Amino acid sequence: MQLTQLPMLLAQVTVEDLEREKIFLQHNYEYLSWGLTAAWIILVVYVLMMIGRQNRLKREISSLRAMLEEKK
Amino acid sequence: MTNKILYVLGIAALAILVWNIYTIARLPEETRQGEVFKIIFFHVPMAITAMIAAAVALIASVGFLLTKNFKFDALAVAVTEVGLAFLAGNLVTGSIWGREIWGIWWAWDARLTSALVCWLLYAGYLMLRRAIEEPTQRATFAAVFSIFAFIDVPIVIFSIKWWRTQHPQPVFWAGGSFPPDWTKHFLWNMLAMALLGAVMIAVRLRQEESQRELDSLRRMAHAL
Repeated sequence: MQLTQLPMLLAQVTVEDLEREKIFLQHNYEYLSWGLTAAWIILVVYVLMMIGRQNRLKREISSLRAMLEEKK
Repeated sequence: MTNKILYVLGIAALAILVWNIYTIARLPEETRQGEVFKIIFFHVPMAITAMIAAAVALIASVGFLLTKNFKFDALAVAVTEVGLAFLAGNLVTGSIWGREIWGIWWAWDARLTSALVCWLLYAGYLMLRRAIEEPTQRATFAAVFSIFAFIDVPIVIFSIKWWRTQHPQPVFWAGGSFPPDWTKHFLWNMLAMALLGAVMIAVRLRQEESQRELDSLRRMAHAL
């Protein structure tokens, strides 16, 4: 695009167009943030579930071992 | 795998992901879709990781049916569960992208529907395992179910080729273009997701071993 064409192009753009574009970009960025947050939350929740399961397994194994030792 | 290696791999994966969020944020926005297009950096690697997990689950399930070795069963359940988490991430990020670009959270097109069916099938696999008490029967039924569930995976992958879908055509294998520096970030994210998935699978495998130990201790306690 030649530099002389720029004022003509800008003359076609209204303030409403610029405002709409600004809102679209803000909205767009908001959705990107939501998307990334959701991806992270799902992975973190799954890791927390795994940690919870690990603790439960450890607890149950040690209590059963203790019980078996007692019975022996 | 020792604890140390697992920690190092996990931290490396998280470091790559965090660094990549920083670099992705600095990339210019896509011409038509704007910033929200960058969801692709998480959406697609999550899908690929989930599909790889499904393929490993298939191999492990066939391995169990052939050998009756419970290590295959443990691998199958570990990869299925981790794959399910990644597929959930893929569905949710896709839905958020769709809300912004299509104006709707969900469309019943072939790709989205087959991916949801895939998620439901593998969730069903995990529920089936909970429903059966006897270990050999549980592993056998689950392996057969997993093989059946895998039928949906090629449908998910090729649905955008086979049918006209609202879901966009693939960027990488349908003549789409992606700037080289964007490809670099995408591949780094792919590596990080795969690494994270591998660490999760290794941890989950250990939990299956602990579960087997717990089961045998319970049997001993009943016998006494």
